[in-house]
Amino acid sequence: MLFLLRHRSLASLLVLALALSLTACGGKKRPPALTSPEGITPSGPAASDTLAAQPLDEGPDVMAVEGGYATSSDLEADYTTTYQEGSPLADIHFEYDSSSLTEGTRGTLERHAVWLQTRRALTVTIEGHCDQRGTVDYNLALGEQRARAVWDYLVSLGVAADRLRTVSYGKERPLDPSATEQAYTANRRAHFSVSQ
Amino acid sequence: MPRTLPALVVLVAAVAAVGSGVGSAPQEPVEQIVIGGVTPRFAVPECIARTTDEQTQQACRTITQVLRNDLRFERLFQFVPDSLLAAVPLLNPDAPVFEDWQGIGARILVVTRAGLANDELTVEVRVYFVDSGQTMLARRYSGKADNPRIFAHQASDDIMTLTQYKGVARTRIAFSSDRDATPERRSKELYIVDYDGFNPRRVTVNGSLNILPEWSPDGQSLAYVSYRRVTPVIFLARIFEGKSVANVTGERENSQAFAPAFSPDGQRIAYASTRSGNMDIWVVGVNGSAARRLTTTRALDTAPCWSPTGQEIAFTSNRTGTPQLYIMGADGLNVRRLTKVGNYNDGCAWSSARQFSEIAYTARLEAGGFDIAIIDLATRQVRQITQGRGSCEYPSWSPNGRHLAFSCERRGTWAITVSDREGRSLKRLATGAGNNVQPAWGP
Repeated sequence: MLFLLRHRSLASLLVLALALSLTACGGKKRPPALTSPEGITPSGPAASDTLAAQPLDEGPDVMAVEGGYATSSDLEADYTTTYQEGSPLADIHFEYDSSSLTEGTRGTLERHAVWLQTRRALTVTIEGHCDQRGTVDYNLALGEQRARAVWDYLVSLGVAADRLRTVSYGKERPLDPSATEQAYTANRRAHFSVSQ
Repeated sequence: MPRTLPALVVLVAAVAAVGSGVGSAPQEPVEQIVIGGVTPRFAVPECIARTTDEQTQQACRTITQVLRNDLRFERLFQFVPDSLLAAVPLLNPDAPVFEDWQGIGARILVVTRAGLANDELTVEVRVYFVDSGQTMLARRYSGKADNPRIFAHQASDDIMTLTQYKGVARTRIAFSSDRDATPERRSKELYIVDYDGFNPRRVTVNGSLNILPEWSPDGQSLAYVSYRRVTPVIFLARIFEGKSVANVTGERENSQAFAPAFSPDGQRIAYASTRSGNMDIWVVGVNGSAARRLTTTRALDTAPCWSPTGQEIAFTSNRTGTPQLYIMGADGLNVRRLTKVGNYNDGCAWSSARQFSEIAYTARLEAGGFDIAIIDLATRQVRQITQGRGSCEYPSWSPNGRHLAFSCERRGTWAITVSDREGRSLKRLATGAGNNVQPAWGP
């Protein structure tokens, strides 16, 4: 519960910051998707932790499995992130089995870079996603390559590297799990999870 | 004591005429065990309850059914049809009338008997040569009565010691499932299940994405990839103690780790890491020591699997433009391409059986979905195990190399599926709700 509260207050701070910066922008071109700032993904307490081999102390990862039947234990509210589809930065999309940026996606990333440069307190997790037509392992690799291509481009545009991190989701979290061309296209994407 | 019965009493271990007489016969279509020069037909009559109470009767029914299923699953034996078993007069478990069993063509008779006392179940199993009346194997098992299936599994594995293969009846399969996910929290949690799909037990409870489970060779731990700290890294959990260690490979900030694979001696983990800025194969000690990069191309290298000797590692790379399987030494040297057929091959699983030298993997051999294929390392011949029944991927060998588990999608749902290594007897396991994927067949 504590974490949830903390998320909420973080999120509202972020909303405030966005509102202020919007005002500051005045009549300039509006950044994309800013109309739904409540969609910003709150970052968890562990977001800035450096990862080191250590036993977890923020709640169990695993339950002790008995030789016999185990009852399903309920989830505790101590997870690190919630997953939300909304983000102030629009997704960019890729061709099948490709991590190449097109002229169009470069244009989008250039707008993202400008938006990020005016909000230097924000950090971004670039999520690389794939459609359902590949295998588990290769898609995790391809998702990373996509996220990395976006990372490279944003850094080349002047966004500080330490504000960006990449996470590959492969095909593990599709936007649309259905087996249609439309869903595949929507799933081949880099998604931006913004946190403070 | 997760893997064995609480109390296992060896009554008699008379393994007669086994050492010299057992071997594999290269018969087609199914490999058969030969004992004393013939492929024996098994008769597995109903278990006999020592008392008439319902619990013992029920335990007996379960044991009969599970033992028959276990022995059938191994695909090494022939069986007298159930209909003929009914033709034999009532069995006196202490003195079987072997002529009766001979009369219906049985050469091996498996007699089981169960009794319950003080909530403890005792099961006796005797295996006879029908022709000679000789006892091949006699065991008594006792333990808690709450899961009679365990007794049958143990008996099946003991009967399998009469062959050259280790039985799989007590093995387990780990997998990742989205059954606990909600629209707000799209989690995947790890579960383990008995090899036959029964007795599912949840392992992870962190509400994040937990994927790609891999058993340690001692069967006590699972390595897996968790997104619990946003950046996916490899966790190592002693699942029967409920303890886990995060980031066991010692990734630095922003470096992701995937696809853990234990070396056969359990001392090292091969995995895919982005530590160098590009996804490569790395090897590290299980305690996180001495991480070493094995591949250095700018291509994607992932999904390593070890040879049974630990001398070599196969993996997926797209260095020629499409994902293909390669083999290299465990030192990263002497890389050569393995798969030459198809434009998409991934997810190797190297058989650890000394009898077979082969690697299973996921292949797109035809347009559309994926199928499970096996490449014979001596001949480089590829055989397809699944055929266009939706998509199947992510094979994992049973410990004796005679079966595979993988996940298959049909009508939009993924299920753990098992098959023998010829692609016969394909069976979707009823492992519970949700999409169940990425099986790892444990020891």
